Amino acid sequence: MDSPIYEDLTSPLKRARFVFIAVAVLFAAVLFFYWKIQILDYGKYWAASESNRTREVVIPAPRAILTDRGGAVILANNIGAFKVSLIRENTRNLEESLARISPLLGLDVAVLRQRIDKYKTLPLFRPIVIKDDLSLKEEVSRIEARRMDFPELVIETEPKRYYPFFSLAAHALGYLQELTPEDLRSAAFKDRKVGDMAGKTGIEGAYESRLAGVDGKLVEIVDSLGRKRDELDRVEPRQNAKLALTLDFDLQAKAEELLAGKEGAIVALDARTGGVLAMASFPTYDPNKFVNRFTPEEWVDLVKNPDNPLINRALQGQYSPGSIFKPVMAIGALDLGLITEQTTFFCSGTAMFYNRPFHCWFEPGHASLNLPEAIRQSCNIYFYNVGMRMKIDDIARYAEAFGLGQKTSVDIAGEKPGLVPSTEWKRKTQGEVWYPGETISVAIGQGPLQVTPIQIAAMTAQIANRGTRLQPHLILDDDAKTIAAATRSSIPSETIEKVIEGMWRSANMEGTGRGAKVEGFDVCSKTGSTQTIGRETSERLGIKKKTHSWFTGFAPRNNPQIIVTVLIEFGGMGGEAAAPVAGKLFKLFKDKYDRPSPAPGN
Amino acid sequence: MIDRVQLREIDWVLIGLLLLNAVIGIVLIYSSAHYLAGNFYLRQLLWLLVSLVILFLTLTVDYKGLLGFSPYVYGLFIAVLAGMLVFGKAVSGAKSWVLRLSVFGGQPSELAKIALILLLARIFSEYRRKSLGLEFGILSVGVTVLPFVVIGLQPDLGTAVSLLPILFGALILCGLTRKTVVLLLVGTLVLGFTGWTFVLKDYQKKRLITLVNPNKDPRGTGYHVLQSKIAIGSGGLTGKGYTKGTQSQLKFLPARHTDFIGSVLGEEFGFLGIFAVFLSYFFFLARLFTSVPLSRDRAGMYIIFMVACLLTFQFLVNVMMIVGLFPVTGVPIPLLSYGGSSLLTTFLAVGLVLNVKMRRCVNA
Repeated sequence: MDSPIYEDLTSPLKRARFVFIAVAVLFAAVLFFYWKIQILDYGKYWAASESNRTREVVIPAPRAILTDRGGAVILANNIGAFKVSLIRENTRNLEESLARISPLLGLDVAVLRQRIDKYKTLPLFRPIVIKDDLSLKEEVSRIEARRMDFPELVIETEPKRYYPFFSLAAHALGYLQELTPEDLRSAAFKDRKVGDMAGKTGIEGAYESRLAGVDGKLVEIVDSLGRKRDELDRVEPRQNAKLALTLDFDLQAKAEELLAGKEGAIVALDARTGGVLAMASFPTYDPNKFVNRFTPEEWVDLVKNPDNPLINRALQGQYSPGSIFKPVMAIGALDLGLITEQTTFFCSGTAMFYNRPFHCWFEPGHASLNLPEAIRQSCNIYFYNVGMRMKIDDIARYAEAFGLGQKTSVDIAGEKPGLVPSTEWKRKTQGEVWYPGETISVAIGQGPLQVTPIQIAAMTAQIANRGTRLQPHLILDDDAKTIAAATRSSIPSETIEKVIEGMWRSANMEGTGRGAKVEGFDVCSKTGSTQTIGRETSERLGIKKKTHSWFTGFAPRNNPQIIVTVLIEFGGMGGEAAAPVAGKLFKLFKDKYDRPSPAPGN
Repeated sequence: MIDRVQLREIDWVLIGLLLLNAVIGIVLIYSSAHYLAGNFYLRQLLWLLVSLVILFLTLTVDYKGLLGFSPYVYGLFIAVLAGMLVFGKAVSGAKSWVLRLSVFGGQPSELAKIALILLLARIFSEYRRKSLGLEFGILSVGVTVLPFVVIGLQPDLGTAVSLLPILFGALILCGLTRKTVVLLLVGTLVLGFTGWTFVLKDYQKKRLITLVNPNKDPRGTGYHVLQSKIAIGSGGLTGKGYTKGTQSQLKFLPARHTDFIGSVLGEEFGFLGIFAVFLSYFFFLARLFTSVPLSRDRAGMYIIFMVACLLTFQFLVNVMMIVGLFPVTGVPIPLLSYGGSSLLTTFLAVGLVLNVKMRRCVNA
């Protein structure tokens, strides 16, 4: 090679120096930009880095425990459960993300999308629960193992409502459901968040705010995958004190055992307080099934079930009262002076009123009987005659005085008011005048008259307490309040006593209520059997459908302690189907509570 | 071999600045990856020692000798890279087999930079005209585009782009006429258009789009730049303290020990740390630029200037990238970012500069 030593390199070196100066200027410019973001915009980026690393997590408060009246039997408590939520903000592409999550959780993409769509109006950073009640061993560990692949998923624990006795008192306790986006926007749930469960029916629904408690809060340091690294602040959740119901566990369990396989309702009240000792409705369901957010199949099954297991027949079932209405008729007629307890009518099995034949349920006829005997044997002809003497509006007045035709206002929502017909009612609803012939049917509890089992129980309690009305309720602490707020009608207690005599005979002197007799417990009762279709219709169609079977009564006769009302749909004669069921409940109550008081003077 | 005069002429200041910045790198790598398995800082330290030994070994060979070999070295690298491309696509196992062939299991594309520097220095060593002629223009652009394409298709856009400052360094020294500049601009536009339409992968396009608006796609590529800016901005004047950066320690930062090492620096040491490292790096680069005249021949001058341009380009692109002033291209900071091949390549490049400087007084 030639020696390059004497070559003139001035111009390339000049250019190299120029580049170096340009580099120096560029260094200064970039440094200036760093100065801008690190010094001038420091506050903005500092705040961003703080919110990046901290996360607020809600610690859901366990719901208050529900117990029976003794306080020892827990009817509803909480167990720990795992749920997995998706944070849309942490996904790059939601669809792609759902496709990956689908096999992980074993859920169809369509199902996942549906769950996300339900809450699509919510801010992107809010976690949306996509599956709950995860199994620890399989699902939770599977998701945790693939934590790195799924930064959009978070697993959280939550206390889950648990009903240890499954369907026991299901209708009284109610069930929980996930709050809908509409619920969340309402003022009542403004403090609640997505995926929260809330009581929908029963006690759970009625006392939602009392039971819900106050959620706690956890501020934690997280890494970019949302994994917890440290804890900054913690506010423990507050669980509210347990709530004792008036329900008696043994009575409730027995009532449900007796109803099993049938359709109907049982209501038992504490005669002294109006507290509900038992409230059973069949068919029933397991409220644990609702505690999971996603059980659409089971939900649809329950809603579509022709037997309506979700209906609380004790409150929502409206039935003709039939003969159990007769005590109200008798009290009204006595109070108006239309009859006395010695007034006698003759029953031949059939009688003509307004040129139409009316039948007694006992076709041979009861012959001549007075009021207590008419109640004992539940004679229809006697009460047709009473109905002949009474105006429909008077009947309505006495029915309403005993709480019929209106809600009892027991704690649980959804109660039906029933129906007490009157001239006013007929004019308003049908635009027609009331025909006196219609009164004859109402006199034996048929016609348009409609009642609910809880109304009948409250009516019976009013009779048992010789006119004093107590508000039926389900919270034990309301006992004292209810007694203080008790009301009385103007009907003298002696009048009611005359009817009670008949009810006592019904159970204790081989009357229709004899099936409910309990030795040494002085049961007073009235049974009823109501036609589910009219007699003419049934004869015309040739269908012989069984009647609904009613029983209502109290015990003991003096200083009553318990009211039992039983309704069995299509049970047949009240004395045959309903009375023995009530008898078993009276017996159980007597054995449990009615012990001879210890000898005084010790 | 080396005689006493050459030994005396070794630029110890440059070696000192080289080591200073490499040690700063190890300190930062420790903070950004100490909680990860793999002892990255120890591995980097090992690479540092190995690279230093190799650097001193290369000093024993006259760079003129290396220039003589340069076409063969260049050819070998093109063959290896093209082989990786072809076999890597055909059989998945083949890629790793070719990888094992390459030096230390590292990235041969990094070392291709050295091969290109040597080849371009050889091409321009005998070029004495006042400005760039057409045939030399085509030749130099051609030898750059070839590795640019095979590396870009790997796909490793960051390394491919790093070849460009080497070419531009050579062209600048050579002297560009107005006509050439216009020609280059048109060529770049055409290349850019075809590249955007036919060559660039979606993720690469996304990175370019992200540069324009990092807030648009907070979980995509823009997310990384945003997190990096948050890290640097939240460092403030003095920083959050060594190993105390929440953005990096809690892994909001991506590629903390490689591409985003500067973000860790900004977060944990603040603006003062940024300033200090900029300064020490600037001294290092300035030492290279001021060495350009200290060559006995044209080839040596080209070598020093191309090395200076390469390292300057990589540093500036990276520090601009992590604050959103440049697209995220995956260009690491030489010496500071973790990576054995990158460190070795930088040491070899600086070795070439030392090689040229120590032999400037020798009469051939």
